[in-house]
Amino acid sequence: MTLLNIDGLSVRFRLRDATVQAVSDHTFAVRRGELLAIVGESGCGKSVLAHALFGLLPRNAEVSGRAILDGVDLIGCGEKRLAREIRGRRLGLVPQSPATALTPVRTGRRLLAETLRAHQRDPALADSLAEQVGLDAAALGKYPFELSGGMAQRLVTALALAPDPALLIADEPTTGLDRPLVDHTLDLLRRRCDSGGTVLLITHDLAAAERVADTVAVMYASRIVEHRPAADVFTAPAHPYTCALLNALPDRAFQPIAGHPPMLTALPAGCAFAPRCTHADGACATLPAGPPVACHHPLVTEAAA
Amino acid sequence: MAELTLPRPRRLRWLRPGARGTVVAATVLVVAVVVCLAVPVLWPLDQSAVALDQVGLPPSWAHPGGTDDLGRDVLHRSIYGLRVSLLVGVIAAVTATLVGGLLGGVAGLLGGWPDRILMRVVDTVAALPHLLLGIFIVAMLRPSLGAVILSIGLTHWLSTARIVRSELLSLRTRPFIDAAISGGASRARVLTRHLLPHVLPKIALATTLMVPHAVWHETSLSFLGLGLPPHLASLGNMINDGQRSLLTGAWWASIVPGLAVIVVTLAIAALSARWRDHLDPRVRAELDL
Amino acid sequence: MSLTASGIHAGYRGRRVLHDVSLTIERGETVGLRGPSGTGKSTLVRVLALLHPPDSGHVTLDEQRIRGHGHRVPASVRTRIGVLFQSPRAAADPRLSLSDLIAEPLRAVRHPREQITGRVTDLAERAGLTPDLLDRRPHAVSDGQLQRACLARALAHDPDYLLCDEATTMLDASTQAHVAAMITDQQQHTGMGVLVVSHDPALLTRWTDRIEDLNTETAR
Repeated sequence: MTLLNIDGLSVRFRLRDATVQAVSDHTFAVRRGELLAIVGESGCGKSVLAHALFGLLPRNAEVSGRAILDGVDLIGCGEKRLAREIRGRRLGLVPQSPATALTPVRTGRRLLAETLRAHQRDPALADSLAEQVGLDAAALGKYPFELSGGMAQRLVTALALAPDPALLIADEPTTGLDRPLVDHTLDLLRRRCDSGGTVLLITHDLAAAERVADTVAVMYASRIVEHRPAADVFTAPAHPYTCALLNALPDRAFQPIAGHPPMLTALPAGCAFAPRCTHADGACATLPAGPPVACHHPLVTEAAA
Repeated sequence: MAELTLPRPRRLRWLRPGARGTVVAATVLVVAVVVCLAVPVLWPLDQSAVALDQVGLPPSWAHPGGTDDLGRDVLHRSIYGLRVSLLVGVIAAVTATLVGGLLGGVAGLLGGWPDRILMRVVDTVAALPHLLLGIFIVAMLRPSLGAVILSIGLTHWLSTARIVRSELLSLRTRPFIDAAISGGASRARVLTRHLLPHVLPKIALATTLMVPHAVWHETSLSFLGLGLPPHLASLGNMINDGQRSLLTGAWWASIVPGLAVIVVTLAIAALSARWRDHLDPRVRAELDL
Repeated sequence: MSLTASGIHAGYRGRRVLHDVSLTIERGETVGLRGPSGTGKSTLVRVLALLHPPDSGHVTLDEQRIRGHGHRVPASVRTRIGVLFQSPRAAADPRLSLSDLIAEPLRAVRHPREQITGRVTDLAERAGLTPDLLDRRPHAVSDGQLQRACLARALAHDPDYLLCDEATTMLDASTQAHVAAMITDQQQHTGMGVLVVSHDPALLTRWTDRIEDLNTETAR
């Protein structure tokens, strides 16, 4: 059962002297109960994708394609409808920096109760919601600036969960947290999916994706180059970029990828990874088909079929 | 959108053609400055001349701004008044900035007790009504351009001092300053290469935002009879004189200099606001991307 | 020959974050430091980098006890310890191009001007920064590229010790591996001692020779 259907979604920013191609022709679906991790290095456009779904892009962004959540096109439905029916209701966001995302003048409990009330839910649920994210009653009574980074992270997660959104988007939710808190946050997202929720996890942290994701979409230079079940991606990567990225992990070869990703203002016509790829040849000057694997020379052939 | 890789912004991007308000404001200001510079050369004014046969004439082709109750051409004198106001405004704003920048700089760089003492001084001065303080300073001196400038300069340095101090205090804790110190940079180098370049644009902005304020202040002082000698054309003097004519129905004698103050100060304020937006990275992100 | 912190108590404005902490980094070795957030790992790095004064305890650099911190320490001593910070954005002056960023420590100690260009080119090449990147300013490069430039800057003086404060936490796997490889390479040439602060067990196990814990018992 599909919850989110993205079809030909592209985002670009027109500057006076250049065009930034931040998201190129994404087509994928997210099932109910699925945890999809979008992984990619900083600057590949993955955060722009999240902002596009939320309709929070700056004015000079040009969005094309469709993103249908539960029958509503997020791209075409207009700001009014997004604000009234979608954002914070059917679509929740766990932001990147919790410390700046919280109103400093209200305690966690009041913030939570207000959010619950605004969505016609029982404000008394605040404590059970807090417990769910691992926030104890004492911490809930504090003001956001009195909370540690980890506690603030739990609070924003609880706030995002308060309206019981159909789709939760977590944009780098673990940045700046230490390992136990990273694991805790990830497990929370996992439990959400296990109890029927749907999560889109945007991260640069491959270990995080490996820990909790059902499916993984690897993004490189604005395109999704590989979109397959997590187990397959991490054991038998099909795209040379995925393979190289995994090889860079400290518990694997710890081997960097030579070269730099292309600038989003000057993407090549063919495969964007070809200049750094050991398998590249003449065929790579044209854009490969895919997903699931956008490559002319996939490392695992049956996956591309 | 921090994670996007972008090309370098061009200089003067903030003055993009679409910004109609900015263009209007810039045009107004350029015209005002050119007129102020050209008129004394092309059409000099005898400040003390009166023409009692032309008293209280309404606007006409011969006198586009009409004449006042002493038969003087209102537009001609308004231009002279604007000259004085702009001059006083700019010099006073620069004076205030120098005083504020120096004191705020000392407080922000030294921290500790010098900071605490200086900031208490700032609080004390801020607690006094600054127009009153300005009047006090002018009253102690002979009415002159210098007295007006001093009066405005000595009462308007507070905000600059606060801005400079808080900027320096927050910059000093930034990791790039740590990195510079660790890399071997001397105190002087940290100050001139890493701290000042970040503070100077903000100081310059504070100065331009203060110019319209200083112009108003000069006008207020002159209006109260505490500014320039009454026979000299200054916008404040003219608005004050114009009050008398207002009773006889000669509205133009105070409206024309009044409009000059309003339009020119609004133009400066609009341009500085646009520049401030340009300096603010959050707004700039909106504008650029 | 080592960089040693002995019995360090330190904090900010009366709030003490380090309580009797000692740590030694020998030349040539790579020490990992881990501990939950809020235990003062960054404060310890700043104390070791001579940027923050300990309330008590002292730092010893190659058997020489250091007095004072910041500018009170001679530049020739400060520059023997390089620092790589967590956020390259915060650690880079946004006005400087990447080549100016890398050249800054050399200019600060009046390195002969004709040698600076060559030195910057060499450092940038080792950091994997292409010439077109060097002309750009921080906002026009990615976090990973900027951190490579910051590493080149930290190595500009060929320091005897390099302190990495969560320096790869915000980076993608490839850049992390590249930063680690460049540091290891430098270490093999100059024999510098390296401190790696991180909470990624996989990274610490792979990269470091030994791992020290900064836990709540020593840091209250």
